[in-house]
Amino acid sequence: MTVALVRLGLVAAVLLAWEVAGRAANPLLAVPPSATLPALRELLLLRSYPDLGASLLVTLREIATAYALAVAVGLAVGGTLGMNRLLGRAYGPMLAALYAVPAVVWYPSLMLFFGLDAASKIAFGFLLGFFPVTLAVLAGIRQVNPHLVTVAKSYGAGPLTVFGRVVLPATLFTLVGGLRTGLALSVIGVIVGEILGSKRGMGALINHAYGLLRTADYVALVLVTLALIVGTDVVAGLVERKARAWSE
Amino acid sequence: MSASPPLIAVEGVGKRYATSSGPIEALQDVSLSVGEGEFCTLIGPSGCGKSTLLGMLGGLTAPDRGRVLVEGRPVTGPDPRRVATVFQDPGLFPWRTALENVEFGLELQGVPAARRRAVATDLLGPLGLAGFAGKYPRELSGGMRQRVAIGRALAIDTKIVLMDEPFGALDEQTRLLMGEWLLEIWRRTKKTVIFVTHSLQEALVLSTRIAVMTARPGRIKSVLELGMGYPRPMESPELVALRAKLWHDIREESLRAMGGDQ
Amino acid sequence: MRGLQLVSVLALLSAWEGAARAGWADPLFVPAPSAVARAFGPIGGPALAALGDTLGKTAIAYVLSMVLGVAAGLAVGSIRLLRDVLNPFVVALYGIPKILVLPWIVLLLGYGTAPAIFYGALHGLFPVLVLVIGAVRDVDRTLVTVARSYGATTWQLYWKVLLPAIVPSVFAGMRLGIVFCLLGVLVVEMFAGIRGMGYVMGAFANGFQAPELFAATGLVSAASIAIVLALDHVSERLSHWRG
Repeated sequence: MTVALVRLGLVAAVLLAWEVAGRAANPLLAVPPSATLPALRELLLLRSYPDLGASLLVTLREIATAYALAVAVGLAVGGTLGMNRLLGRAYGPMLAALYAVPAVVWYPSLMLFFGLDAASKIAFGFLLGFFPVTLAVLAGIRQVNPHLVTVAKSYGAGPLTVFGRVVLPATLFTLVGGLRTGLALSVIGVIVGEILGSKRGMGALINHAYGLLRTADYVALVLVTLALIVGTDVVAGLVERKARAWSE
Repeated sequence: MSASPPLIAVEGVGKRYATSSGPIEALQDVSLSVGEGEFCTLIGPSGCGKSTLLGMLGGLTAPDRGRVLVEGRPVTGPDPRRVATVFQDPGLFPWRTALENVEFGLELQGVPAARRRAVATDLLGPLGLAGFAGKYPRELSGGMRQRVAIGRALAIDTKIVLMDEPFGALDEQTRLLMGEWLLEIWRRTKKTVIFVTHSLQEALVLSTRIAVMTARPGRIKSVLELGMGYPRPMESPELVALRAKLWHDIREESLRAMGGDQ
Repeated sequence: MRGLQLVSVLALLSAWEGAARAGWADPLFVPAPSAVARAFGPIGGPALAALGDTLGKTAIAYVLSMVLGVAAGLAVGSIRLLRDVLNPFVVALYGIPKILVLPWIVLLLGYGTAPAIFYGALHGLFPVLVLVIGAVRDVDRTLVTVARSYGATTWQLYWKVLLPAIVPSVFAGMRLGIVFCLLGVLVVEMFAGIRGMGYVMGAFANGFQAPELFAATGLVSAASIAIVLALDHVSERLSHWRG
């Protein structure tokens, strides 16, 4: 109760400080909440950026494609490496080592390959989402409790039953977490790609507003993009909970 | 004998805890005094407030009513110059070696490194840990860990050592051996020990006095004086008789604790 | 195992080389490994200078984020009210793509070093903060009780109990943090850089200089992996008590 109140107070204080500082500062550099709301209204009524809907759709489509690819390839690669001991021990660590490289180093190469259009964003979103999915499959298969397998076998379960009844549910729990992280990273990949250079999508709009120093519009666009990101995460969270409940 | 106050005096102490299902009366009107050099054991059913009482003596918990005096002065907080505590979970610092764990209390008191190292090293021998000074807790057995924890308490050389079921997590053989070992240490160091246990055997073999506590709210039900010397063979008629009496008292309270716990 | 890893890397490289020589891949986009290796020659000096520039900014951002992350994490993790109030905000901020505020940061701090350090530190801060808060919350309560009963002062409690207890988490945070800091610095260099490896790579990409770009990418990746391996080595030596 107290905690909720203090939290509320904190948010109010931050908004107030932002308002005060925003009014005092150069309007090109800072936008107080009172100026953000009108800009947000203009944006949502399609007055400042009439192609908002189309841009949202472009970004969403890039995210969906990138994520679908990441899941498909991630499951295949993770499953292959996880079920085959030799391959897993040889290539698992190499994958993990690549994880130690900041992913953005690959982005210029992707831009070179795929150009400024959607393909390079999809490729980057795929790349970011692929790793957590693959590593989660690997980790999931590795941490299946061997004791459970022994117990199942002692009750007369065949290899298929063991896989279906023991390995899969046990892996699913870890996998679901990896799938969610993968989605979050695919989203980030697409957004980062768009902001680093694009002609269409939310990132392009953000860059446009920023380039013309339309700071209020920029803030409004960021808020809408944020809503998109939080929205996907909330949906993913719901799905995750369902899947977890089912896998137990 | 003399008019000087007892080393430890607990006077009409009460403690109540607020829980989600209403207040719980942990201790009610507990009085007890312990003289210097005694080995006093608190025994009673689970949840009878033994550990709460020990926490008050160690200054970790404040009583709601009554007072707790050590050397005639009320306890207001932990006082590592007079009282050391050993917990059931040895609570060793995993990043410190056995030796460094034993040094811990001295280090907090600002004792120079060379001096505290010497004290701790001297202690390891009687602790049976001479070869283990450089080992980390994860490399030690359960019994060894608890001996390190006891060593940490002995290192700060207080008059009083409080022990909260120190051997509770050990298997029975280890427990018996640790009891013998502790008796040896106690007789040599002449410390005053307040010892909490669930084990009748441990209480009978070790104590000069046993205080039986009632089921919640905890009170002192009876106090047994054990005048005989050490070591004490369990089959001696004296001990068998005492055991029967002790069991009679504890059984009653344990049944009450199991039955109407509310 | 090493052998298999080495053989597969070599096989991949030779297949790639063969494909490039046979003309199956457009050398404009997929240069042969030999061409990439040759590109190290001409770009070597300037690329190393750019890498030094990037790593210098990363180092400053890293130190800032680690010091701030551990200190704030200790405070937030150990003070119950702060933790209850702030933890959800910290977790939410960790998850939000910080790239959204990058244009604003550049607007405020201009082009060059300052935004790179700020943005790099912002990236590195959150993993440490989240890990340290969790670690402090999960410190074995018995250890705190023991320290209190031995008369530990507040300062001693932090210095001799909480800080050593969270060392493994701090290292985990440092490992994540260095990659995040480097990522942040590179992103700023790509977005609004005038120097540094991110800027150089962006320029190679825009100029369709594939061999040079691949060489530069390889250089940054190798540097990053080397730094992380070195950190792992240090953390192993300092956490030997965990076994």
